[in-house]
Amino acid sequence: MDFSVVTNNFVFLIAQGFLGIGAFTGGTLRLAVPAIVLGFILGTLIGLARLSQSRWLHWPAKVYIEFFRGVPLVMVIFWFWFIVPTLAGKSLPEYAVALTAFVIFEAAYLAEIVRAGIQSVPRGQVEAATATGLSKHQLMRHVILPQALRNMIPALVTQFIVLLKDTSLASIIGYVDLTKAAQIVNNREIRPFELYLFIAIVYWLCSYAMSLYAQRLESRLASR
Amino acid sequence: MKRSLTILAVAYFLIALTDAGHAQNTLEKIDKSGTLTIGTRNGSPPFAYINKNNDWVGFSIDLVEHAILPALNKKLNKQIKLEKKESAPATRIPLLTSNAVDLIAETMTDTQSRRDQVDFSLTFFVTGAQFLVRKGSPVKNIESIAGKRIAAQQGSTNAKIIRERVPSAKLVEFPDQPAAFQALSQRQVDAYTNDGIQLAGLKAKAPKPDDWAVAGEFFSYEPYGMAMRKNDSDFRQVVNVGLMDAIASGRYAEIYEKWFGAKGEVPYPLTPENKRFLQLQVVPK
Amino acid sequence: MSYNFDWSVLWTGQSGNWLIQGVLTTLHIFALGLLIALALGIVAGALRTMPFAPLRWLASSYVEFFRNVPLLVWMFFWYFGVPPLLPQAIQNWLFDHGVEFWAGVFAIGVYHGARFSEVIRAGIQSIPKTQLEAALSTGLTIAQAYRLIIVPIALRLIVPPATNEIVNLLKNSSVALTIGVAELTFQTRQIETYTAKAFEALAAGTIIYLILCLTIASIMAGVERRVAIPGMIAQGQTGAS
Repeated sequence: MDFSVVTNNFVFLIAQGFLGIGAFTGGTLRLAVPAIVLGFILGTLIGLARLSQSRWLHWPAKVYIEFFRGVPLVMVIFWFWFIVPTLAGKSLPEYAVALTAFVIFEAAYLAEIVRAGIQSVPRGQVEAATATGLSKHQLMRHVILPQALRNMIPALVTQFIVLLKDTSLASIIGYVDLTKAAQIVNNREIRPFELYLFIAIVYWLCSYAMSLYAQRLESRLASR
Repeated sequence: MKRSLTILAVAYFLIALTDAGHAQNTLEKIDKSGTLTIGTRNGSPPFAYINKNNDWVGFSIDLVEHAILPALNKKLNKQIKLEKKESAPATRIPLLTSNAVDLIAETMTDTQSRRDQVDFSLTFFVTGAQFLVRKGSPVKNIESIAGKRIAAQQGSTNAKIIRERVPSAKLVEFPDQPAAFQALSQRQVDAYTNDGIQLAGLKAKAPKPDDWAVAGEFFSYEPYGMAMRKNDSDFRQVVNVGLMDAIASGRYAEIYEKWFGAKGEVPYPLTPENKRFLQLQVVPK
Repeated sequence: MSYNFDWSVLWTGQSGNWLIQGVLTTLHIFALGLLIALALGIVAGALRTMPFAPLRWLASSYVEFFRNVPLLVWMFFWYFGVPPLLPQAIQNWLFDHGVEFWAGVFAIGVYHGARFSEVIRAGIQSIPKTQLEAALSTGLTIAQAYRLIIVPIALRLIVPPATNEIVNLLKNSSVALTIGVAELTFQTRQIETYTAKAFEALAAGTIIYLILCLTIASIMAGVERRVAIPGMIAQGQTGAS
């Protein structure tokens, strides 16, 4: 076992692959962080639509969620990679393809988290707030969403961990994330054991750290 | 109110997406975006690969930069940027037809059946299919592969030929060359079939080049061309003029020498007949 | 749009055959991967709740290590990294019998085993401690108590989150295409390569996955109805891939 292949290419693997700083389009974090933020925004809209009384919002949201939970992420990535440029008539950079695919896919899962968060706000809150004369809109903005958000945070952190791992699939379309960077080096040097063990450890460190954080958050929130 | 806004938003999004109301040809597309996007390999030395400094370089890439881009710049009267995307035999035609890339500049063989789906430039390299095996392997040529496990790239001409000519061989298809080579080095397959020059490149760049041998005569004729979308003769003209200028002016010979010369990455001298063939492709102005 | 739709490519020529092969391979990986995942998941999940610290630690290490690394990395690891470590006889057998398939099965099975163990652990922990105490007081050993009482009850409680994980396992079989397994997504790429009809190929693949996932979900809903224990409902977890 010769780990020099890792040390020789350490900068490429971490700066280019993990962070996204380099000559190629890539970066695990550069994909994961915007994806969770944008995915959360879209997921909130869909989650709210899912809870809406209106048929026009409720049903499309339900279909959206069930559809994206029933197809593999790999398929969704291929859809965006091949079909969208055909429809739009122009090519899309890999980053845009990957980011869009992730945002749209993860939003389905985030919508369910948002929905669960909103539904976990005690009914008494809604009744009390309505009794003080708040409109439905104000109710959502000032009473329900803030509390729902607090309840959602552990699940959101967990979903971010999931998303971080899912970014590895962007390597399939050539996006140079950590996994692809390892592949590139491996293609040249043929040392799969050392390289894939190294990136497994990097992913593991991030995920494990975040899951400990999520657990701490969960116990802190539960004790309130 | 919310409902109608949602409907408007969705409609706008759909309209923006199908922006291709006017059919644009490639030259217009490049002019508008200022960028030529090519699909190229990243594990096929020395045509297109990532070297020890993790730079994306290669013979095909150099041809685009020093022969095609100048012609494009001249035609469109502006400096065009080059953007590279990774392609592989299984993905290159879909990438082209879906507008994700404008030109496939790698190691794609010009064939009649592929011409049903894409157009090709002039031939810029000539080679043939062979096998890469471990030194001392019993596989010597296409006659000796019956029943053996043969690696090939999914969607390549080599895979198709093996499947048709030697059905008793166990064909194992991989998404790209590095994956196939790795299977070979781990003895998961008995031989890897690809075009001779690529096998030579792979052998030269392997961690231990002496472990490998390129076996057999060429069992197919593989002329490399650059692929582009069909019915795009203006763009094709520019590409061909670029290649012809490079051959006539000696720039092609320089680039060839850099990669395949005696001091190049993969020494592979240009045979007199191939040299003549390239020169004959240059039609008078 | 200059795209010409041609849906007949799906059943003419080799495409139909490829699709069927793809579905069969996907189901094959799914079934074997599921068996491994359930076996590992039940054992690891149970061990994590037992009062013996070394066993708990062993199970926790397995779970935390495999769960926190992307499945794609495991695919490469099992396919490229593991075979060279095996004895030559096994290697030869594997190379003749689809090593990529077995690497995919084990990557999926071991990864999802780690995820299942969390679901099962949550199920076991939601059973009142009194059950275990009662079981032990009748003279059963801990192993017997778990095998005969705790685990069966836990399995009946966790049907909703387990359904989620089973669907995820099916979807994750698509990741095996990266090591050359000719499952459904690989075959849609194959059809695309040879017919250039990306839209039709992807649509066919998508619809088939939807059908498979909905089928699993409705089978599991039926299972849930049949095995539900009145008065005990475990916390349903929200979806995660």
